[in-house]
Amino acid sequence: MKWARLKSPWVLHFNSGACNACDIEVVALLTPRYDVERFGILLEPSPRHADILLTTGVVTRQCADRLKRIYEQMPEPKFVIAIGACACSGGVFEGNYNVIGGVDKVIPVDVYIPGCPPKPEAIIDGVVKLLKSIEGGKQSGKR
Amino acid sequence: MASADKILKALSDSLGKRIIQTRTLQPGKSYIQVQTGAHKDAVRIVLQEDNEAGVSAITGVDLGETIELMYHIRTCDTIITIGAEVPKKDAKIESITDIFPGANFHEREVSDLFGVTFEGHPNPKRLILPEDWPENVFPLRKEVSVANIPSKIGNFGVSKDEKHVSSEERLVNIVLGPQHPALIEPEKFSLRVDGEIVRGVEPRIGYVHRGIEKAAESRTYLQDIYLVERICGICNACHAACFCQTVEAIMGVSVPPRARYLRTIILELNRIHSHMLLLGHAGLEIGYETLFHYMWRDRELIMDIMEALTGNRVIASFITIGGVRRDLKEEDVPKIKAELTKLKERLSFYKNLFESDSTLKMRTRNVGVLSKQDALKLGVVGPVARGSGVNMDVRRDEPYAAYNEIPFNVITYDEGDSWARLMVRLDEVGESVNIIQYALDHLPTGPYRVRVPRTVPTGEAIGRVEAPRGELFYYVKSNGTAYPERVKVRTPTFANILSFVHIAEGGNVADVPASFVSLDPCFSCTDR
Repeated sequence: MKWARLKSPWVLHFNSGACNACDIEVVALLTPRYDVERFGILLEPSPRHADILLTTGVVTRQCADRLKRIYEQMPEPKFVIAIGACACSGGVFEGNYNVIGGVDKVIPVDVYIPGCPPKPEAIIDGVVKLLKSIEGGKQSGKR
Repeated sequence: MASADKILKALSDSLGKRIIQTRTLQPGKSYIQVQTGAHKDAVRIVLQEDNEAGVSAITGVDLGETIELMYHIRTCDTIITIGAEVPKKDAKIESITDIFPGANFHEREVSDLFGVTFEGHPNPKRLILPEDWPENVFPLRKEVSVANIPSKIGNFGVSKDEKHVSSEERLVNIVLGPQHPALIEPEKFSLRVDGEIVRGVEPRIGYVHRGIEKAAESRTYLQDIYLVERICGICNACHAACFCQTVEAIMGVSVPPRARYLRTIILELNRIHSHMLLLGHAGLEIGYETLFHYMWRDRELIMDIMEALTGNRVIASFITIGGVRRDLKEEDVPKIKAELTKLKERLSFYKNLFESDSTLKMRTRNVGVLSKQDALKLGVVGPVARGSGVNMDVRRDEPYAAYNEIPFNVITYDEGDSWARLMVRLDEVGESVNIIQYALDHLPTGPYRVRVPRTVPTGEAIGRVEAPRGELFYYVKSNGTAYPERVKVRTPTFANILSFVHIAEGGNVADVPASFVSLDPCFSCTDR
């Protein structure tokens, strides 16, 4: 099981209020220049099949319930990667009336990838770091 | 097509004393303040005088005791603004949705954010704010501050499930979103279906609403550039350009020629990357994954040029008030030209593919048809309008940056289906490559920015830019300090989203992704 998770992690992408800049870089990961499928990383449409949740953007009031619900639907063990300044801390939108803040205000986060937006290389690096720490015995939901 | 003077004359002839005052916002842009109640007649007259006119945006401004509503009407070459004031305590005004259906969402937005009731509106439901938002708190009113809005942290009730059987018999509700494989961003669409046929669509936007218009009021003009760029990561340079242009119009600053050309280059790079992104995404949605991978591979050429020019792949932070932030390096020019030539070769391959491939034909021809008449009625902009034969393009109609010196064609198709909308974008990529090549060949020498003061004199201005998705509209009001009084953003996707309701109705459920993606939806723009 652990072997399969390390060799082919299935990821789910959810945007909880991003400006699309991080999102297009996540999509760029799948395309020929970066092509993360060669590492077995597969983008999944359903939370119920996903091992890793890639979140982008701040959490807006309206999206908070949804983000929590998606996280709860994922099977254990599950890991969360926050991509971009907004997902890490709220970024430029921190303090706005419809914004709750970074993703870690709602669900536990395992890896933070800063940048506005981070380059695809940085996102790959973040995923690889997570995989290494899973290999080292990291449990889900704990820092 | 009627000139602005003729329209203004018609307005003063028929409204007479009901006009309170007429003034000029900036050269060529008039503002007509009318008595409350006369606004509807005024809008009707402008729409009658120019048969291709449409309501571009409705702006609310908090004046203290009253709320000023501005109806910005797009005519063939300018914007005519009709203003009316309503008292804050009893904010009510007659809806104009019956004479111009495209005003539907604009009115609902103002109603959410300013608490103005539009009497006679067909569907006065909440559009942008969340369902659990406190009643009678209208965020864009000045007396509301972020501190006195109850926080939601630690209080996550899970929202109720949507009903799956519609009140009408035989119809079933299918909920698309907020998290759905066909949507990269969160937004909810309830489709009422009868077997395989879509009978109605109810969009619910606001999942990405971050309150940027309010936030812009508490940041300086310089900080606002970085804020508005993050309204949308895809067309970020257009937002920065439009905001800076509007502020420059208030300040009376003119930008050096080299900066105008450099702005044109970055705006066109933005357009190419956005169009190619969408064309690839369209391939994914219609089940043509090879096209997606091909398109995105070729798009990386543009990302490399963006990185060389601005230092970042996506968010450019290139345009600033008074010019641009860095110069183009002379040694990069041949590299950029070589990449553009490479891209041009690929474009002829794609053109051939889009015209002859049977998969593309079956999935997009005659799918999601929007007639020219409906396009005008719904007030759509950009490639969606041009795909339905409406010949409009801000770059030509009201040139900004260096567009008055660079030759280019405005692409239109008359079919009005998903295929036509995709073809408009594909042809525009070719035009954009030509524009960049011309701009590089004719790049003027000299400074690339002028220094401007931090504070902006009192005044107001309107700015328009042709973003990849259509006309982007900004209204900025300054009170003489370093902080703006009001920043209104009407994004092209907000104007286009209403047309989805129209083109999906009567179509097949399986065609929903294909027709939806052809509108180039971008929810971070739509919600702000």
